[in-house]
Amino acid sequence: MRELFHEIASSIRQNKLRTALTGFAVSWGIFLLIALLGAGNGLMNSFSGNMEQYVSQTITVSGWRTSKPYAGYKENRNIQLDQRDLDYTEGPHWEGVIGNVSVATSSQSVKLTLEGRNVNGGMRGVMPDFQETEKLQMSAGRFLNQDDIKERRKVIIVSRSQAKELSPKDPDALIGQWINAGSVAFRVVGIYHTDEQDFRQTCPIPYSTYKGIYDHTDKIEDISFTVNGPSTLKEHQDFEESYTGALKRMHEIAPDDRRGIWVRNGYTENLQMSNASRILSIAMWILGLLTLVSGIVGVSNIMLITVKERTHEFGIRKAIGAKPHNILSLIIAESVTITALFGYAGMFLGMVACEVLDKTVGQRGVNIGFEEIHMLVNPSVGLDVALEATLLLIVAGTLAGIIPAWKAAKVKPIEALRAE
Amino acid sequence: MALIELKDINKTYNNGQPLHVLKGINLGIERGEFVSIMGASGSGKSTLLNILGILDNYDTGTYHLDGKLIKDLTEKQAADYRNRMIGFVFQSFNLIGFKTALENVELPLYYQGVPRRKRQEMAMEYLEKMGLTPWAKHFPNEMSGGQKQRVAIARALITKPQIILADEPTGALDSKTSVEVMQLLKQLNQEDGITIIVVTHEGGVANETDKIIHIKDGIIGEIEENTRHTAWGGSIIK
Repeated sequence: MRELFHEIASSIRQNKLRTALTGFAVSWGIFLLIALLGAGNGLMNSFSGNMEQYVSQTITVSGWRTSKPYAGYKENRNIQLDQRDLDYTEGPHWEGVIGNVSVATSSQSVKLTLEGRNVNGGMRGVMPDFQETEKLQMSAGRFLNQDDIKERRKVIIVSRSQAKELSPKDPDALIGQWINAGSVAFRVVGIYHTDEQDFRQTCPIPYSTYKGIYDHTDKIEDISFTVNGPSTLKEHQDFEESYTGALKRMHEIAPDDRRGIWVRNGYTENLQMSNASRILSIAMWILGLLTLVSGIVGVSNIMLITVKERTHEFGIRKAIGAKPHNILSLIIAESVTITALFGYAGMFLGMVACEVLDKTVGQRGVNIGFEEIHMLVNPSVGLDVALEATLLLIVAGTLAGIIPAWKAAKVKPIEALRAE
Repeated sequence: MALIELKDINKTYNNGQPLHVLKGINLGIERGEFVSIMGASGSGKSTLLNILGILDNYDTGTYHLDGKLIKDLTEKQAADYRNRMIGFVFQSFNLIGFKTALENVELPLYYQGVPRRKRQEMAMEYLEKMGLTPWAKHFPNEMSGGQKQRVAIARALITKPQIILADEPTGALDSKTSVEVMQLLKQLNQEDGITIIVVTHEGGVANETDKIIHIKDGIIGEIEENTRHTAWGGSIIK
């Protein structure tokens, strides 16, 4: 082994410029691969971060204007969910499939203010199990409980990012304080956890309180629930169709009307998003690999020239007893060494580029009107990608070396000795 | 059986115009002999040497080396036989430029899989024998022609081969160094009993050997016993 490296080192030393130029192509290929994958990861992280406030593992349905005339009704009829829908959802038909069921009002934009500071919020009247269906983690205080509902308490839950805006020095001190939401004062009883890139602004208040203050009817705005049965995208879509079909029958909406019942299916959205991220990742790999191919061709080319120049030397080696596989492994080892050496340099630079992206674009939010979104969140590649890339480099180096090595191993000693 | 037994060896090159180079060579060389093969350029002497050295193959006939039939060998077998049975000394030395004298000498042992330490020990021993100990760490381009040829001889000897094949070993040397190299070969033959075959076109070089085999137009001509070194009128190297 030591002998082999010694030989490779002396061969590379003899052709510094040529090796450097070739190595650059490999470095560039790996650099682009890593940078692309990192940026792709960042993009996906920002998608999921920005989407988190909308997407949860629940299905939410509400009434919607119809778009087709049906059963004697004209189109554009307003559909309003009512107790029948709730009974059906909680009823025996979906027993075992539908889990927690909760009602919630739609979101109402309010400005939360405290001592001159203010922040936007989306107030919703919800039931206590909203915490479960929306997977809210409390970072301080508590979530709403049945007493809040029963007594129509004026209590509110805010997100950590909102708490920071209202009480920058000590967000937790907000618990127990009264804040203004529009013209009504609420006491903060809990703060739910949001991380750096999470800008959820939903502010849950008791369902009954909401109904008492903002909406005096007993209409049901939203029904949210979790499901246990379906797992694949197809199963979720089938379930959704069957469920909304029943609701449409109850409200006499055309079965093929795409409106009438509004559905937000957190399950299918999550599945579609992970699909999208997989496709993006594959696309990045393909682009990176194509770039790397040009690098490999470069190494192969240089090895061919090297082999030609060293033919006489190989002739000497063969005359004194080198077997074909000795020559073969010498060339392939050299090729792998060049590829791996420069490949690692490229990988390192690619990771540096990801860091630079993180520190520049990643820190900059883009204002899209009602909120700030981040274009790239934590763009980086994991250890698994680094290992895959290492393996890739070794394979690439072997592939690059294999034709030149074969040529070198095959040449007859007598012909090799004659070469100059 | 003799160390080298050639029976009716024929060799034709087919580069466009077929060229019949060896036309039925019959030759036997005994263990411990010191012979030269003489001939003009184009006589087939280099081809014969390449066949003897298993660097090239032949078309018809048989070649036995130390009792083994050398025919239709795989590259691997050929490499192995060359490594263990034959030591080469070339006109242009054929040392590897980016390796030191020591590394050049130990290379044949590397291909035998001998451990590094043992290789270096043996290589130093042979360099010492050639009087080159101070030059062990030098690269070929830092040495004179005579020194380079002695490194090459050390490299040829290190595997303790049956025969040394020397192709115009003095061709690139001045006359004084040529005499030294021939003396060295003669000494190896006499003291260590190594079979040596020298290919040359110089009468002076051939006269140093004990037997001169003349080859002309692909056939063995006269075989001269030269134990008294009187060939070519007892000529010395020019």
